[in-house]
Amino acid sequence: MTLSFKRIGAILIKEAHDFKTNINILIMYLIPMLLAYIYNNFIPGMPKGFALSFGLLFLVVMVGMYVPSMMIAEEKEKKTLEVLLLSPASSVEVFIGKGLLTFISIIVSFIILIAMSGGVGFDETVVILVGGILTAVFCIQVGIIVGLLSKNQMATGVVGTPVYMALLLVPMLGSMGSPALEKIAKVFPTYYYNDMLYRVLYEFEGNHTLIDMLPELGILLGSIFVAFVLLLLVYRKRGLG
Amino acid sequence: MIEVNSLLKSYGDKKALNGISFHVREGEIFGFLGPNGAGKTTTLRILTGQLKADSGEARIMDLDVMKGTREVHSHIGVVPEETNLYERLTIGQNLDLFCRLYGCDIRQTDYYLKRIGMSEEKNTQVKKLSKGMKQKVLLVRALLHSPKILFLDEPTSGLDPASADTIHRVLKELNEQGITILLTSHNMEEVDKLCNRVAFLNQGEIVEMGSPEALKLNYSKRRMKVLIDDGHELVSRELDMDGEESARLVSEWMTEGKVRSVHSCEPTLAEIFVKVTGRDFV
Ligand SMILES: Nc1ncnc2c1ncn2[C@@H]1O[C@H](COP(=O)(O)OP(=O)(O)O)[C@@H](O)[C@H]1O
Ligand SMILES: [Mg+2]
Repeated sequence: MTLSFKRIGAILIKEAHDFKTNINILIMYLIPMLLAYIYNNFIPGMPKGFALSFGLLFLVVMVGMYVPSMMIAEEKEKKTLEVLLLSPASSVEVFIGKGLLTFISIIVSFIILIAMSGGVGFDETVVILVGGILTAVFCIQVGIIVGLLSKNQMATGVVGTPVYMALLLVPMLGSMGSPALEKIAKVFPTYYYNDMLYRVLYEFEGNHTLIDMLPELGILLGSIFVAFVLLLLVYRKRGLG
Repeated sequence: MIEVNSLLKSYGDKKALNGISFHVREGEIFGFLGPNGAGKTTTLRILTGQLKADSGEARIMDLDVMKGTREVHSHIGVVPEETNLYERLTIGQNLDLFCRLYGCDIRQTDYYLKRIGMSEEKNTQVKKLSKGMKQKVLLVRALLHSPKILFLDEPTSGLDPASADTIHRVLKELNEQGITILLTSHNMEEVDKLCNRVAFLNQGEIVEMGSPEALKLNYSKRRMKVLIDDGHELVSRELDMDGEESARLVSEWMTEGKVRSVHSCEPTLAEIFVKVTGRDFV
């Protein structure tokens, strides 16, 4: 099978057009921005990094999983996927196109969110971006798996919610001080990105350059690989139903 | 062009196709007629490679559909039963996507939109279109890559007469340009008007096949209706086409200048269907 950049580009353009008019999906991007705006302007005494780190984690984890799963499930539900697959486009090209749009939109939102919170230092930005990119790739793959397992958009809620909760909330709760919870949270790769965000945005002691985060980056890379293998297995087993 | 042999397909223990065989020649418009649930969509989806048959053979342009469909897909255009356009996108965005995927000239979009009289609507969101307009866009989408065979699953079902007419006209024109067409329908008149040959499908079996004219002649009772003016009023008389008695009567009326109209009484396709299957159509 050969992948064609032209066809991936065609899917990407289509998704970009579709994205602009899809309220369900746009709201997901607005939530972290809105929260950041409220925290920064109306809640005095909030630690500066709180809204930012929550927003970044939400974007990369929630948006990263939700958007591709909904895109795939909607194409199944409305039977548009059938015509795509009658064309020379392969399902892999369809996934890559959708994943790529999600990825680009997350990175753009990252930059907006960082700008909204008044900016952070260079080293911190590098950590946020590199960690964010790796976590996004992991989450987008998980989102595609959820989409593959769901028959329609409703079903993504049933299949996806437990996964979203586990990957978004558990790491957040885990970093709040309970050692038992933290143990559980360490199973999830998103915990490590949350931890990186915590270190660059809250801690004033110690070094926070990318080099200091190598173990976390390694774990994220490993998770990408695991998610990829899982994606292949699910795709082999379920196809596009 | 299309060869189908003994197709069998069951969904669970429900038999949808019970050994179907037929062929479609190059340049034909072939109609698949049958009530809801007869197996029309199932047959079409097997031919387009979207569904696996349990057994049997299907070949398109001498390519085996059961083994790989990549090449088959480049030769066929499909108008599916569902109106599966991207509703939030405009017509142009929908069509451009497929132009890019097929790698065909992006101007094809404008060419075909003009042909179905929808150039003005190019930048309209699909969800704002009527059913008839959407159906026309589906047809254009199936044509962008200049396929040799067009499959249409109930292309005019539920459409206003004007849209249905446009679709019929375009199908006729495409056929004159050499495109082979296989369509399904449960509209007898449509098929009668459009198709070179038809197959009646009932409960997963082909129960009759042939050109509409030949079928009507085969099932004709060889009777005719003559409308005569007997000086006071118009009287309709039904006669056998054969026999001296009829010949004598008609010749008499004709000599006396009484004949106003003569019609042979062939059955309609719908009547033939009822006769063959013993069940009402629709
Ligand atoms: N996905 C499916 N699962 C179970 N039964 C099906 C499915 N699709 C079609 N059928 C059954 O197969 C038969 C033929 O269906 P179909 O090919 O859609 O008929 P038609 O297009 O002529 O209306 C029907 O009895 C229908 O109920
Ligand atoms: Mg059908």
